[in-house]
Order: sequence, then C-alpha cells, then structure tokens
Amino acid sequence: MALPSRKRGRMGILGVYLRKIYTLFKGEVLILPSRIVVFLFFVIVLFLPVVTQDPYLLRILILTSIFAILAASWDLLSGFTGQVNFGHALFFGVGAYTSALLNLHALIPPWGSIPLGAVAAVVAGLIVGIPCLRLRGTYLALTTLAFPIILMGIVFAIPDITGGELGVSGLSRLSNSRLHDYYITVVVMLGLCTIMWKITDSKTGIIFHAIREDELAVRASGINTTRYKLLAFSLSGLFAGISGGLYAHFMRIAGPSTLEVSMSFTVVIWAVFGGIVTIYGPVGAVFILFPLLEFLRFWPEFRMLMFAVVILLILLYMPDGLLPWVRDKIEKECPRCKIRNIATRKACRVCTALLD
Amino acid sequence: MILDIITSGLINGSVYALLAIGFSLIFGAARIVNLAHTAFYMVASYCIYYATHKMGIHPVLAMLVAIILVTLIGLVCYRIFINPIREHEAAVLIATIALAMAMQEIMLLIFTGDFLSVPSLVSGYLKIIGVKIAYQQLLTICVALLILAGVWVLLKKTRLGLAIRSTADDREVANLMGMNESRVAMITMGVSVGLAGFAGAVVVPLTVVNPHMWMHPLIMMLAVVVLGGLGSLKGSFIGAYILGFAESLVVFLIPLGAFLKGSVALCIMILVLVIRPEGLFGVAFEEER
Amino acid sequence: MKKTSFLWSILLVLLLVMAVSPAAWGAKVIKIGVIGPMNFVQGKGHWNGATMAAEEINARGGLWVGKKKMKVELVKADSNEFLSMTDATNAMELLLTRHKVDFIVGGFRTEAVLAMQDMAMDYKKIFLGCGAATDEICTRVAKDYNTYKYWFRHTPINSTNLGKTSFIHVGTVAAIMKKYLNIPKIKVAVVAAKATWTEGVVKVSPVILPKMGMEVVGVWRPSPVATDVTAELSAIQRSGAHIIFNWFSASAGITFSRQAGELKIPAMQVGINVEAQKDSFWEATQGMGNYVMTLNTYARGVEVNELTAPFMNRYIDRFGETPTYTADTYGAIIYALAPTIEEAETLDSDKIVAILENREYAVPSGRIAYMKDAQGRHLHDVKWGPGYETALGVQWQDGELKGVWPNRWKASADAPEITYKGVVPYKIAPWVIEKYKK
Repeated sequence: MALPSRKRGRMGILGVYLRKIYTLFKGEVLILPSRIVVFLFFVIVLFLPVVTQDPYLLRILILTSIFAILAASWDLLSGFTGQVNFGHALFFGVGAYTSALLNLHALIPPWGSIPLGAVAAVVAGLIVGIPCLRLRGTYLALTTLAFPIILMGIVFAIPDITGGELGVSGLSRLSNSRLHDYYITVVVMLGLCTIMWKITDSKTGIIFHAIREDELAVRASGINTTRYKLLAFSLSGLFAGISGGLYAHFMRIAGPSTLEVSMSFTVVIWAVFGGIVTIYGPVGAVFILFPLLEFLRFWPEFRMLMFAVVILLILLYMPDGLLPWVRDKIEKECPRCKIRNIATRKACRVCTALLD
Repeated sequence: MILDIITSGLINGSVYALLAIGFSLIFGAARIVNLAHTAFYMVASYCIYYATHKMGIHPVLAMLVAIILVTLIGLVCYRIFINPIREHEAAVLIATIALAMAMQEIMLLIFTGDFLSVPSLVSGYLKIIGVKIAYQQLLTICVALLILAGVWVLLKKTRLGLAIRSTADDREVANLMGMNESRVAMITMGVSVGLAGFAGAVVVPLTVVNPHMWMHPLIMMLAVVVLGGLGSLKGSFIGAYILGFAESLVVFLIPLGAFLKGSVALCIMILVLVIRPEGLFGVAFEEER
Repeated sequence: MKKTSFLWSILLVLLLVMAVSPAAWGAKVIKIGVIGPMNFVQGKGHWNGATMAAEEINARGGLWVGKKKMKVELVKADSNEFLSMTDATNAMELLLTRHKVDFIVGGFRTEAVLAMQDMAMDYKKIFLGCGAATDEICTRVAKDYNTYKYWFRHTPINSTNLGKTSFIHVGTVAAIMKKYLNIPKIKVAVVAAKATWTEGVVKVSPVILPKMGMEVVGVWRPSPVATDVTAELSAIQRSGAHIIFNWFSASAGITFSRQAGELKIPAMQVGINVEAQKDSFWEATQGMGNYVMTLNTYARGVEVNELTAPFMNRYIDRFGETPTYTADTYGAIIYALAPTIEEAETLDSDKIVAILENREYAVPSGRIAYMKDAQGRHLHDVKWGPGYETALGVQWQDGELKGVWPNRWKASADAPEITYKGVVPYKIAPWVIEKYKK
C-alpha cells in the first residue's frame, strides 16, 4: 500500500486509472459467469494468433466468424421480431454477389465493395419485408423461403453477368496474409455482434421484442410497427450482407451456393440450437457447431447424421436453445429485483432477497 | 399444344396434390409444419427400390410394405421427437428439418449418392389426339383423385374425421368436448405420413431416386399449400393444379426458360399472398398467436 | 553458469534434431493429394485410379528423385464439392498446410476447382485437374502465367473441344440416318440442361447445325435435376425432330432418356449425357435408355492405343466397373508426374512445370500434348485431334455400352481415316426406323 513517494508521483495517474479499470472489471464482469465467458471469448479470439498461426485453424475460425455474423443477424430479425425468415441466404447471397461484381467490374477494393454489397442486401431486405408485412407465422416463413430460390433462378438466367453456376471468381483478397484476414474478420464480427447486442438493448430492441410478443398491443400503444418491422429486415439484411461480402472476398469466389436452401436452413438451425432471442446464442452455436462439423470430416459418412441427431436431442431437452439452458444452470434470477446472480449465491447481491 | 399443356398440367398438378394433401392435413389438425413430409416420401421410394430390386418382391406388394413401414417410422418419429416439443412452433420446424436431414443422411449411407430408379407399375403409353401419355402418369392422376375423394370421405363422413375437423377448428374446445386431442393428432400424423408414402409409391416410377430428391418437391409443396391456404384441403388441391399448370405453361411457351418453372411458380405464390395474405382458401385465424 | 550453458546445449541439440527430422521423415515419400467428391462416382474414380497408380509405382520400389528412390503416398481428401464449397476449400487447405502434399490430382465441379486452384497456386503446388472441363480454368494460365503455371488439365478435353466432338457425332448420326432412312433434311431438337457449360452450345447450335445441312426445330433448357420432362418431350415429338441433341450432366439425363424411351419418342439421342456414361445407367432407366449415344472416354472393348486394354482390364478386375474419366488420375500420376519427376531429378515445382509443359506422352485414352493459345501463350490444356485426345462416342445397345465412334472418321478431307479397335456400327432404334422408313 505505502509506495515510496517518488514512485507514487510518477505512477500516480496511471495507477488511479488502472485501479479504476480493475474495480470496474471486478464489479461488472467477474460477478456473473456469463459475462466472464463473454470476456474470455473476446480474449481468446483476439489473442489466439499469439499461440498458434496454423493457417488451417485460422481458416476455420475466419469462416466461423463470418457465419456467426450471419446467424446473429438472423436472430435480430426472426428471434427478436418474430418474423421467422427461412430465406436468410438471400441477404448473404446478395451481399456476396454485389461485392463480387463491384470488385470485379468496377475494381472497387474490398473495404468499399463489402459495405456497398451490404447496402444492396438492405434493399433486398426491404423487397422481402414489404410483401411480408401482411403475413404471419408460417405464411411469412414459407414466403421468405421463396425469395432466394427466385433469385437463384435469375442468377442462372443471366449467366453472362452472374457467371451462372460457376459464380463470380477472381476476386481480390481481403488482405495480404491469412493473419490479417483473421483479424479483419474477427474484429468485424466482434464489433457487429456488439452493435447488434446494443440494438437489442435499446428502445428499438425492446420494440422489436414487443412486436414478437404481441403486435396488436404495440400498435395499440401508438407505435408504427410497419416501420419497425421493415427496420428489422433492413438491419438484418445489412449485417448479413456484410458477412456475405466478407465470405466472397475470403473465398475469392461468389457462387450460387450462397443462395441455396440448405444455407438458409443451416442458419436457422444454428440460431435455434444456440438460443433465439439472444444475440450470443447463435454466435456461440456457430462457434461450437462449425468447427465440430469440420472436425468430424474424418467420418464423412456420419458427419451430417450426427449433426442432425445432436440438433434433435438439443430440441428435446433444451428447447430454448443450448446457451440459455447453460446460462440458466449457472445463473439465477432474483425473484424480487430480477437481477441475475451466480447460481451459487444464497441471497441476491443487490436486494439481498433469498434465491431459491 | 393446348392439349399438351392440359395433360402436362394435370400430371404435374396431381403429383403436387398428392404431396400437399398429407401436409395440409397434419397442419390443419395439429398445427405442425412437417417439413420432413417429402423426406418420408423419399424413404418410401427407397423402401420400394429395395423391395423390388434386392428382394424381388412384386411392385404392388412392395408399395404396400413401404407405405406401412413409412407410416410406422413416421409415428415413432412423431412420438419421440415432435410430440414433446409441440408447444414451441419454431422448435417443431427445426426438428422436422433435422429429421429430414437425418433421413437423407441415412439413405446416403445405405444407398450412396448414386441415382436409382424403380420400375413402373404399368409400362407403355397411350395416344390421345396426338399426345402421348404414359400409363404410369394416368395412374398418378387417377390415384390423386381417388385419394382426395378418400380423404374427403374420411373427414366428412366418419367420426374420426369429425374429431380431426374439430381439433383443427379449436383445439381446446375439442379437448373440453371429450376428444383426446393428442391421440387425434397422432392418428392424423399417421394418415399424413401414410399419404406421403402413397405419393412415393405412385410418383416414384416417374422420377429418379437419390438422397436429395426430397428438397425440390418440398419447396413446390410448400408453395402449393401456402398458395391454397394452410389447413385447407380444397385450397391445397386447387393450388396444386394451378401451380402444375403454371409450370407446364412455362415449359411450353418459353422452352429456353424451362428451368425457371420452379421460380415462376414461387412468384405466383408470392403475388397471391400479397393480395390475399391467407392464401386462396385459407382462413385467417385472428386469435391465433 | 555451468547449469545454464548445459541447458542451452540440450536445447540446441533438441532444436537440431527437430530441424533435421522433418526433413529426414518428410523426404522419404512423395505425397500426392487426391481431392474429389468421395461419396460419389466421380470421387471414387479419382481415388481408385490414383490407388492403382501408387501401388504400381511402389511395387517397383518407388520413383528415382535424383539419387534417392522415394515411394508414393496418397492423401485422400473429400471435397464434398457437390454439396459444400466451404468443405472443398477446407479440404484443400488441409492438404496444403496440414499434410503438406507435393502434388495434387482430382477436382470435378468447376466452381470448386476454381477456388481450389487459387489455393494450390498460392502454395505453388502442382495441381493436375481430372474432371472439370471449363475453358476458363486453363485460360487463367495464359493470362497470368507466373501465378497459374502449376496447373495442368489432364482430363477431360475442354468444353470447346467437347462441343466440337459432339457436333461431329451429330453429323455422323445424321449421315447414317439420312442414308438408311432416306430423310431429305434432318431435323434436330437441342435439349441442353440449364448450366454454364451448355451456354456455348445453345448459342452456336442454331448457327452450326444449319451449316452442316440440318434444321434446328427448337431449343429446350430443362433444369439439370429435372424430375419430369414429359412436357419437353411432347413438344419435341410435335416438332418432328429426327435427332435430339442433348446435353445433360446430372440426374435429368436419366429422367430424359427413360421417359423418352417409355414414350418411344421417334428421335435418336446424341450428345453428352454424363449419367449415360456410367454402367448403372441401364438399370437407372429400367432399360428404357436403349440406343442413347453419348460422348465418353472409355468403353469396354475399345482400344485407343496399346495402353488402353491393360489399364481397363486391371481396373475392371479390381473395381468391377468400367472406369469413368475421373479415374484418369491413374494416367496423371503414372504418365504425367512420374516420368517428369524422374527427368527433373527433383520435386521442385518450377523445374517440373518447365519440363512437363513441353512433353508429349501416351496415356490410355490417347496422347497428351499441352496447347498454347492463339498468342502462343501456354494454356496447359489438353490438345484435341486425331492422334491426340479425341474422346469416344458410345451407344447403349441392348444393355451394353458399345463404342461407335471414331468409326472410319476423317477429321478433314485430306486427313487419314481413323477407326479405333473395337468400335461397332451405330444402331438406329427400331421404332425410329418404323416411323421414317419409306
């Protein structure tokens, strides 16, 4: 405690800030296991290359990050506003193809073509969202299913522009090295997911959630649900478009495989597996499932089968998703003040009510 | 050419109608969107292939065996995987997709990805006013009509049908009236999967059998059912023929765009939904959330 | 101090051992990666052909690389390219970074091969393509030689030449029909599955076929996985076509042939029908695919040169089916790579490229020479022509796939007449004869 006065003078300001950060850290992060997990996730993902730079591993993580953005964007739309989107591949494909075409023909580098691709995906979001305004539930889900298929038909109909089933190839790389690619993708992923998380915590997010629960009540409160529903489609399209653009530049080819029905279904499966109406659920799910699927490539016959069986078991025993289930096991909600506590506590840390 | 379009449309439409009727039934009665419906159809096809090729059983007998087997599998899957999570709609959707994928992978494991085929029940063709129609295709049309008639009789004239219709209208009240709602759901599931098996038996000699054969019919079937109105059998039937004719029109009028017939059908579906959000004959359930 | 210097020397020794041993271990074998869709016929062909080649090389002790004899080790990589592009690129990544292969053979689906090619070129590894026919894969070599020079196409001939050969087939069949059925002008219906590789055909057929003296009565483009083509067949029947010039690479080929056979459409099917190249086609069409003719690389009984029969017989004995062209990984390893490695006396990619691109050598399907484009730039693409690679025309005749072309074929007026050993005459379907014979 008692530092010699000379040292304290020089280190004083820095020490004060460090101690402040430490107290903040201890008070905000360390008290809840879920926050610790998120913190560790950030740390591991950002500092992994210090431990190993194996290109294969980095490749897997880059693809995982790209798909994590995609899955989170699905949750933002379908989880939070309840407009279940079975055609999410549309945004992915539009983002991928647009940035690919801009890059190839207009020679726009990736940091320009990807945002522009995302803008195109936003437009796609509106095109899908407007007819869906009057639809509910299953009708909406099945209609959204149709859009990527129609777009795929168009892609095949104008092969001179879109390359048909060969796709658009010969795109520029994201950066000059695998390591830079990794950091670009990972930082974008962490950034976008944090933004999505913040959106869901904001007033807009609450309205989204309310629309899912009871749209009539929201409208009765005087809120223009049409605007918010379209906003959800657009935001979801924006983020999914970015992930599509990243994918195209990383793989250096944008093909019809980005629009396939199986891509749409896979996104939905990831999100539901991880837990909808959370943003971290789909992100966690992709980080668990995608490397798992890749790891299982040594048993190619059983890979997809085990994947499907795992999904079925999760749905049976954890219908809200894996991550919320885990979270409920390690944290408890206080019955009085609704603050979350670590499960090992007997009394709430804020209001000292007894936790069962 | 008009005659070509009509016959072609009838054939296509009948195939879709066979698939859509089963799907509509389970949705109407139990609100379950069974995306694995066409996967059951695929399993039935493989059963028939196995029975006719590897065991040398007569095709008609093979069909019966396949239908019974597939119905049993469907009921077991329902009991284990779907019934427990019936309350979560999204979860049911995912579960049926996962089931379909599992069935696809199992078929891939057993039979590999090669293209297989099943012998026709009746071979040869018939010539009507210059148009050649294979007997197998005529059979499909007749069977589709017969099955629809059968389902209609089941629903309107039997007690079971009454139970199904009441559960479709209002689950809770039906339960209050003393009908065992979950048993009705299970029976409906059995009938639905049986219909999928039947569709497989009749349609499969016309197509190629491979582990991915369930995806395209699924999409077309969903389009048909959504167009006709979810839960309405009449809607599914009519929707099937509308989309069937739409496809034929595309092939005949735009041969260069024959591959677009799926996309055109889906566009029609979207257009109808924009105008009438519950489909042609669907009922808009206001109180359903 | 003593303790630390002792520890340092241990560390140094360990490091030396580690540095030497990978070289010592790795130098013992030549690693060849075989990448393809292993769950499907094409990938199985890749692996089977490569296995036969590796076993043959290792049976004679391996290859001479300079003064050392090294054996060949194959690394299997399932690209799953039909279903997942990410799987394909991940598989290639594994081969390049984890297994550190020296050479790669295989590839099938163009979209995947383009991406996999980029990756192999990054690591400067020689990639011999055994499946994708698109021209673009090789025009990349001409446009950017320094990056793409490590790519060579081994099989098949490129799309342009496949098209050229198919037109020759149509001309041959048209001439036969004209002669035996006394048809004044042959009508052709073009049915090309909607796919990029058929775009060219759709554009040029209406131009070339009339120049060959035939009439094009319609162009249809069904989906490559169409499950019902009766609408198209009705329209074709109405158009009065004598020949159906078809282009199928997926299941639509089976559906089309089966339904055309069941409805006894009075037209002969000629062209490229990939499913018809397989032994399983007869059963898949329930016998209705009789008299279907398609382009192919191998056919039982047909010998292109003295290497064909030994290869085919050994393959059929071992695997029980006729090799598809993807099994030419055998030729890629035994005839392309092995002699070049021994001549270069090293595994260095640049040296091998320099030698290989100038070589001409025999393979079971013909003779390989590498083309240059109109500006004289290397394409590393397979040369087409009599004496080189011509492919075969095969026809299903009563349950057997027989070679029917080249049969007294002249590439041009003053070229020698070519007939491969083992081809039989083309047969016209009885119901077609019945309809047209006057």
